[in-house]
Amino acid sequence: MKKLLMSLLATAVIGTGVAMAQDQAGLETKDSYRFVIIPKVVHPWFDKVNDGAQHAAAVIKAQTGADVQIDYSAPQQADVVQQNQILESAIATRPDGIAIDLLDAAGNRASLEEAVGQEIPVTIFDSVPPEGMELTSIGNDFCEQAKIAARRLVELLGGEGDVAIMMGVPSAPNHAIRAECHQEVFDEHPGINVVATGIDNDDIETAQKQAAAIMQAHPNLKGWVACDAAGPIGIGQAIQEAGKVGEVLLVGLDDLPEMLQLIRDGVADSSSSTKPEMQGYWSVMTMWQKALGIETPEYIDTGIAIITQDDV
Amino acid sequence: MLRKLLTRLATNQLAGVFVAFLIIFAISASLSPYFLSSYNMSVVARSLAFVGLVTIGQSMLLILGELDLSLGVIGGLCGVIAGILMVNYGINPAVAMSMALAMGATLGFVNGALVTSLGLHSLVLTIGTAGIYGGVTLVLTKGVAITNIPAEIQFLGRGSLFGVPLPFVIMIAVLAIATFITFKTRFGRYMYAVGNNTAAAKMLGIKVNRVRVAIFTLAGLLSALAGILMVARLGTAQPSIGDTWVLPPIAAAVIGGVATTGGIGTPLGAIFGAAIIATIENIIVLFGVSPYWQGLVSGTIVVLAISFDSISRRYIRREDQ
Repeated sequence: MKKLLMSLLATAVIGTGVAMAQDQAGLETKDSYRFVIIPKVVHPWFDKVNDGAQHAAAVIKAQTGADVQIDYSAPQQADVVQQNQILESAIATRPDGIAIDLLDAAGNRASLEEAVGQEIPVTIFDSVPPEGMELTSIGNDFCEQAKIAARRLVELLGGEGDVAIMMGVPSAPNHAIRAECHQEVFDEHPGINVVATGIDNDDIETAQKQAAAIMQAHPNLKGWVACDAAGPIGIGQAIQEAGKVGEVLLVGLDDLPEMLQLIRDGVADSSSSTKPEMQGYWSVMTMWQKALGIETPEYIDTGIAIITQDDV
Repeated sequence: MLRKLLTRLATNQLAGVFVAFLIIFAISASLSPYFLSSYNMSVVARSLAFVGLVTIGQSMLLILGELDLSLGVIGGLCGVIAGILMVNYGINPAVAMSMALAMGATLGFVNGALVTSLGLHSLVLTIGTAGIYGGVTLVLTKGVAITNIPAEIQFLGRGSLFGVPLPFVIMIAVLAIATFITFKTRFGRYMYAVGNNTAAAKMLGIKVNRVRVAIFTLAGLLSALAGILMVARLGTAQPSIGDTWVLPPIAAAVIGGVATTGGIGTPLGAIFGAAIIATIENIIVLFGVSPYWQGLVSGTIVVLAISFDSISRRYIRREDQ
């Protein structure tokens, strides 16, 4: 009986200790942090993510005095093998957190599991985490973003006409989701015909070539939507080169400087944009909180901005 | 005595690239506290393994005076075929992988047969076949990865043997076989004879085209092996597998002392070249080099490594005279 009482007491003491440790999370000070940001590829959209991350680092420094280093490591090509190599090399440096935009959730899984296995906090941004892995993800509703663009194009066309979709990287989940959701909206309108789907692999030059060829093949094409940031820029260039400004309508995606210029020039009507700076900012903030031992939300929605000629 | 030993080491064909690799390795180890960690060494070894397998095949082709630009794409296509056979058709993984390996050898054979029978330049021909094989990959996958690869084969890409990643162990075994073939067999001597002087090799009675087709076939087989191991590593068959295996194996072979004109070099030297590239790729991340500087930094290190090799060879020649 005495032994039983002792063990119950010991369990209670240990339990209280654990509970106290949880209560104390985040109260210890740390002088410096190093976070790694791994985008899909070297791309201006991700430079904006990096800008947001650097801003978050400056805010933490200003408010707490802790030094925050952001290591931005981008694959030279949108290739999951190359991205995994960078991720694994980053794990070897034992950072305080890694934020990554997954090229392919299933293909990245093994390397992500290595990071989690080594107790490195991981945040996913602009993509969907692998099934079953409880990682904080930051992004927006990719489907809703695409639907906003597709509905706008349908409205501009009065519900009738031939349209085309420019896919980004087909194996990138967020690009694939956008393509599906564009198609869903167009399917709701019997007067809208999707006559072609291009693949630009998130590359402006490829998008321009694909768009030019598709417009040649479909002279009655009335409108375009895209699934990545590079796509609408290439499409806009192709529309200008073909002298079809105003004749072929474009509703773009995201807010790269070239996209904004296309809206100013009247080549594109508008853009349904993600907020890359905000994704970078909150990636660092969640990594920081996790590094302090504080639980972070499963999903943070950074929202969608609609950019038109009035507010560009 | 020491001078004699040093001269003997210096006159070895591999000395330049080996010393260049050692210098890069030592600098990396001294500048980054993470470089020598067991985890990081396994990361470098694993990344070297996949590109290393393609490098072995490409270096043997270069020794013949040939080049195959479709090897990376063959790796990707065979990985995808293995994935489709296992996932879509439920074929036993061992059988599916064997079929994919056979497909790799066949595609390599087709390249070799076209080069020899039509008298085409391998560089030009394989640009075309790379387009065809890459196109087939896209048609089969529609650009989307094949998921749900059976867990029982994933140990091939993710597992380790006494702490050494399994793909690296496989690559070393293949390298040992390739080295044996090139140095210890009649076929190996034929390779160098063909690479040095095709006309003379023909006059000696060597069946030049047979040697060429055999090496193209072997290179296709090794690329397929790399692709299948990568599928096992990723747990998905990505259509993009092999996209980055085109230029690095050629660069690795050249860094490793393989002459693009044929007849000179070894697969072992090419692997040292690949090891230099894998180390550079790793330290660029460890040092946190900006992605916009990475090309400049890695290119400079490669140029320095090649220059070091060239200067050391010139020094050796002068010593010999």
